[in-house]
Amino acid sequence: MTLPLMLVVNIVILAVLGLIARFVKIGGDEGKGGFNFNYSTSDLIILAVIGAISGVINTGTGIVWNAANSAGGPLAGAALQGAFMWAYLLAFFLIRKPGTMLIVGLVETSIEALLGNPSGLSTLGWGLTQGIGAEAVMAFCMYGNFGWLAFALAGAAASQFGTVWTAYLFGWDSSPEIVTQYWQAAAINMISGAILSGLLGFWLGKMVERTNLLRATRRE
Amino acid sequence: MSEQTLQYVDNNSFVHRADALSKLILVLVVVVTTFQLTSNDARGIMLSSLLMLAIIFARVPLASVLKASPLIFGVALLLGMFHLFVTPGQQVLFTIGPLSATQEGLAKGLGYFFRLSIMVTASFLLIWTTDIRELMVGLVSVGIPYRYAFAIFMALRFLPIVQQEVEAVQAAHAIRGRASRSPLAHRFRLWQRYLFTVIVNGLRKAENTALAIESRGFGAYPTRSYVKGFRWSTTGMILVILFVSLGAGLIYWEKVILGL
Repeated sequence: MTLPLMLVVNIVILAVLGLIARFVKIGGDEGKGGFNFNYSTSDLIILAVIGAISGVINTGTGIVWNAANSAGGPLAGAALQGAFMWAYLLAFFLIRKPGTMLIVGLVETSIEALLGNPSGLSTLGWGLTQGIGAEAVMAFCMYGNFGWLAFALAGAAASQFGTVWTAYLFGWDSSPEIVTQYWQAAAINMISGAILSGLLGFWLGKMVERTNLLRATRRE
Repeated sequence: MSEQTLQYVDNNSFVHRADALSKLILVLVVVVTTFQLTSNDARGIMLSSLLMLAIIFARVPLASVLKASPLIFGVALLLGMFHLFVTPGQQVLFTIGPLSATQEGLAKGLGYFFRLSIMVTASFLLIWTTDIRELMVGLVSVGIPYRYAFAIFMALRFLPIVQQEVEAVQAAHAIRGRASRSPLAHRFRLWQRYLFTVIVNGLRKAENTALAIESRGFGAYPTRSYVKGFRWSTTGMILVILFVSLGAGLIYWEKVILGL
């Protein structure tokens, strides 16, 4: 299977996860949502702070993940694949605007690259693909579904779509055996993303909400 | 990776004097060229050129390069070994238990080793020789909205504060519960607690910072001035031209002379 075909299948996966998030409303917390791209200064600084925190925390995880994936292939790092995007979902929970997850992804991976991620600036590729994955699911919901299921699905989508860049960078389309491993790892990637990113981000958001810090960040 | 190993130190070399955007373009040229190359000889020449540029022309201390080498070559080496054993082939070189290394696997493994090493070396060269703030000013000058570039500025500003806070919270937890020796489940709970503490403290600081900079008129105008503006440099142009020529030369050598 060639890389473009892998990309197409992953886009279909994104669409399916997005449609589930759109029509299955569990853990319902509906918000105003919509395509409001007007970021306030406060929003931008919150994005920067969350990006910096997750960049620092994910750098250590990134070294382990890079080693596991490069030495063992798609299956070896799959369980840890979803551990990087909790900050995207947390930022979206707090700011509730389109593009939030993509911006945090890019800021966070820039920080990781500067702190010494073993993939250098190519880390930005993961920020981009994972951010797009999470954004796609939330776009299906018109950025208006803030239930735990939508967050879990966004985490799963981000985790799986991030593997497109890994496949390109690490040459996972180079032999049929690795491609088979890649698809075997897909379910693990998505479960890992749903739990370690989607639900963790949602839970952290709920915890922050209880502190009342949200008075300043959520403007509905 | 220690901060000392991977940080910008201005030693006024030829490469340091080049503007930040040209160096970013250089990295992009190197990455695009590397993905076009098909022979390991050409990739080896590209990697050697980058290392030469870093050590000789940019005068990056050899100690820094050596300290960063596990990061530059570690993952690339693992990736190379993965492809060495996974790639099927006819000519078996050696076997380790159930794993067989083939001639084809060696070629492919070396290819991925060079590819990743080149990308990481180019990235680190940019970090060693470029003030990231200059790079962001450069990006704003070519059309990136300054409010978005400001998010990166702020992340860099908050970075040492966040690092200190993570260390302080970890130390506080360690003092109270010998976290380093506790069972895994307990350490996970501790991790959750320190993550939450760091996030809440960070958000509080973010709110205060937003209020402070808005009260100084941030965002009132469509453009923003900087203490140190951006301008293209001749040395930057020379570097880009040199690497475009090297890349084109290597591709020509592979396609026309080697016939690959």
